[in-house]
Amino acid sequence: MDKLVAQYSRPHQNEMYSEQEQQDLTASVPPLSLKFSLPPVDNHSAFLRAMTDDHSNPSCPIKLAHGTTTLAFRFQGGIIVCTDSRATAGNWIASQTVKKVIPVSRLSRGEDKKTDKPTPGLLGTMAGGAADCQYWLRYLSQQCTLHEIRHKRRITVAAASKILANLTYAYKGYGLSMGTMLAGMTPQEGPALYYIDSDGTRLPGNLFCVGSGQTFAYGVLDAEYKYDLTEEEALNLGRRAILAAMHRDAYSGGFINLYHVKEEGWVHHGFDDMNPIFWKTKLEKGEFSNVTSAL
Amino acid sequence: MSGYDRALSVFSPDGHVFQVEYAMEAVKRGTCAVGVKGKDIVVLGCEKRSALKLQDTRITPSKIALVDDHACLAFAGLNADARILIDKARLEAQSHRLTVEDPSSIEYITKYIASVQQRYTQSGGVRPFGISTLVVGFDKNDSTPRLYQTEPSGIYSAWKANAIGRSSKTVREFLERNHQDDMDREQTIQLTIKSLLEVVQTGAKNIEVAIMAPGKSLEMLPDDQIESYVKSIETEKQEEAAKKKTRTGTATAAILTRPGGE
Amino acid sequence: MAFSEDSGCGYQNFNFFLAEKKSAKAVADSACSWPGAPGVKLTARRSSLDHYFPSEVLLGIAGKDFVILAASKAAMRGPTVLKAEDDKTRQLNKNTVMAFSGESGDTVQFAEYIQANAALYSMRNDTELSPAAVANFVRGELARSLRSRSPYTVNLLLGGIDPVSEKPHLYWIDYLASLAPLPYAAHGYAQYYCLSILDKHHNPNISLEEGLKLLGLCTDELKRRLPIDYKGVLVKVITKDGVQEIPFDNDKIVRSA
Repeated sequence: MDKLVAQYSRPHQNEMYSEQEQQDLTASVPPLSLKFSLPPVDNHSAFLRAMTDDHSNPSCPIKLAHGTTTLAFRFQGGIIVCTDSRATAGNWIASQTVKKVIPVSRLSRGEDKKTDKPTPGLLGTMAGGAADCQYWLRYLSQQCTLHEIRHKRRITVAAASKILANLTYAYKGYGLSMGTMLAGMTPQEGPALYYIDSDGTRLPGNLFCVGSGQTFAYGVLDAEYKYDLTEEEALNLGRRAILAAMHRDAYSGGFINLYHVKEEGWVHHGFDDMNPIFWKTKLEKGEFSNVTSAL
Repeated sequence: MSGYDRALSVFSPDGHVFQVEYAMEAVKRGTCAVGVKGKDIVVLGCEKRSALKLQDTRITPSKIALVDDHACLAFAGLNADARILIDKARLEAQSHRLTVEDPSSIEYITKYIASVQQRYTQSGGVRPFGISTLVVGFDKNDSTPRLYQTEPSGIYSAWKANAIGRSSKTVREFLERNHQDDMDREQTIQLTIKSLLEVVQTGAKNIEVAIMAPGKSLEMLPDDQIESYVKSIETEKQEEAAKKKTRTGTATAAILTRPGGE
Repeated sequence: MAFSEDSGCGYQNFNFFLAEKKSAKAVADSACSWPGAPGVKLTARRSSLDHYFPSEVLLGIAGKDFVILAASKAAMRGPTVLKAEDDKTRQLNKNTVMAFSGESGDTVQFAEYIQANAALYSMRNDTELSPAAVANFVRGELARSLRSRSPYTVNLLLGGIDPVSEKPHLYWIDYLASLAPLPYAAHGYAQYYCLSILDKHHNPNISLEEGLKLLGLCTDELKRRLPIDYKGVLVKVITKDGVQEIPFDNDKIVRSA
C-alpha cells in the first residue's frame, strides 16, 4: 500500500501535465467556446472588405445586411428605445421585419412568455452587420445571465456595456461592424444608457442615434428632447424621430419597433407598420408637406 | 508512516486531506485576528507580535492589508503565505475594476481568495496557504457592513463577528456572549478591543485596529487611542471586580450576622 | 509549477506589467475572458496615422503650485458629435491626472490600463507614484506598444504635483512615445494656435487665477479660428491638495476681428 501511495505522491508527478493542462483541470469555469476559424490570409479585414464592400465592388460575392436607424434616450420616466426594421444587402431590401431590439440577460424570461408586465433585463439595439450584432449580443446575454447566477444580483448596465466594449476592442481591426446601444435600469444606477461600437468606443449618455439614418433622427429628436418629457411625450417623440429617418433614409423602413425601459423592466409598445403612421401624421398634423400629388 | 500526508492530492482512507488539516493547524498558531460588524461600520482587530529591541516597528508589515479602496483583509497564519495571497487579491480587485468598471463586491473578493486557496489543495506539487483571512468592507453604493472568513481548505463564510488564529475559540465565545446588532462606532471598536484583550495580555502596544465605514478609506486607529480604549476597559473591569468583591463582602457579612441573630 | 493569476471566477487572465510578462494588449484580449483563444493575433489594425484626430483639443499649463489640464468635451465619430459632455481625462492617483486624445477605443482602454496599474502600485507599496514616475511608465508602455502588432494611437498630457517636493509637473507624450517635460503644452490643432499665445504670456510663477485667465485666452482663440465646434473644454486643476474639476465658462461668445 505504501508503495502504491508513494508511486502517486512523488513531488514531480505533475510533470505528466503541461501547465496549460493543469490550468484547464483546476480552473473552476470551463472556457467559453470562442475559437473561430480564420481565413488563411494575411489581412483579415482587407479580405473581408474585398469580399463584401459593395461601394467599391458592386459585384462582391457577399452582401452583408446593413443600414438601419436606431435611437435611444433617457428621460425622467426611464429610457425610450426605438428602431426601424429594414435590413438591406446592397440595394436589395433583404427584410422588412427585422427585430433590431434584442433583450439581453434572462433569455428565458423575455422571448417565450408573452405578458403585459415589464420584463426584467437590459435591451440592446442592432446597427451595422446583423450577424455581428446578433451573435455578440447573444454572447453578452450569456455573460449577463452567468453574472446573475454567480453574484446573485443583476448585472449593472455599466458592467455589461464594458464586457461588450472590451470584446469589440479585442477584435478591433478584424472587420466587425456594430453600433449598439445598451439600455437598462438597475437599483444602483437608475436609468442607464451606453453606446458601444466596433471601434471599441463606449460612451454613457442621455441620447444616441445610430445607423445610416442617424442624422435624420437626431434632427427631430434634438429639437424637442428634454429630460422632463412625460411618458406619453417620450414615446411619441421616439416614434416620430424614427419615422423621420425611415422616410428620408433609403436604408431604413418597414415597422416602428418601440420599447420603454422602466424600473421594473422593459415594456414593448408595438411593432407597427410605418405607412399608416406616416399618413396619419401627414394628414392629421399637416407634416411632410412635400409629399403631395399636386403639380 | 501511512504516506497519506505526503502527497497533497491524496485522500486518506477515512476521507482526510492531511495537508489541509496541517495548514489549519498553522492558522491556529498564528496571532489572533478579530472582525466585528456594527450598524454601519466594520472593525478589524489584530494581535501584534511584540517587536524585538532593534526591530523597526514603523516599517514592519502589518497583518491588516488593503485589498482595494473599499475592501480590507486581516489574516492569521503564515505571514509569507499571506503576502502572496494578498497580492493576488489586489491584482484581481484592480482587474475587476478595469473589466467591469465597478469595484468588486466584498463577496466577490472573498470568493476569489477562497478559490485560490482551494486551488492549492487540489494540485500536484504545491502546498496549501497556511492562513485564514477575515475580509471586510462595503459594496459600492451600499452601507451594509460585510465580514467574511476564508480558510485554507477554500471554505468561505459570512459572519456578524468572528475571530481567527491563536485562542480564536475563546475570543469567538466572548463575541458570542457580547455581540449585539446595531452597535455604533464606539461600541464596535470597544467590543473588538475587549475581545482581543481576552487573549492579549500585553495590552495596547500589541494591538492594532482598522476601521472601515461606507464610502471612506481605511482608518487605522492611532496607538494613543487604542491605549485609551484599553485603559477604560481595564478600569471598567477593575470596577466590576471591585463591585463583585463588595457584593461578596456583604454576602459574607449577612452570613456572619445570621448566627448572631439566632 | 506556476499558477497563472486567474481565479476561474470570471474576470481572469488579467495581466499587469508588474505581475506578468504578457503585453499590454493582453489586457484587452483577456478582458472578455476567453481563456487561451489560440491564433488570435491582431494583425489587421489600420495604420496609426489614418485615425489621428487633430481637432480634439488638449491643453496643459503648469504654474507656481498647480497644473491645469483642459480637454475638449466633444466625442466625435464621422459627421456626428456622439456626446458633448465627454470626459477625456482619468485620475491616476491622488495627485496625477492624464488627459488623452486619439483613436477611439484605444484612448480609454489605454488610460484605464494605466489607471489600474497606478492604483495597484499604490496598493502594493502603500505610496503614491510621483508624476515623473507615472510619466516614464506611460512612455515605456507606449514605446512597447508601438513596436507591437497593435500599437495604441493615443496622445497624452500628464499633469501632477510631486507629493514630496510639492512642485508641479507637466508632461507632453505622443503616440510615438516621445516624452517631454514642459511648462505648457498642447496636442492637435490647438498647438498651432495656443503655443504662440502661451509663449508670449506664460511664466513659471503665475498663480492659478492667472493660469485660468491664460487658458481663457487660448480657448477664445480656438473658438475664433478652429472650424470645428469642440463643445468647450473640461478643466481639471491639480494642486497639492488633490484634483479638482473647475467650472469653466464655455458659453462665452467670441467675435472674430
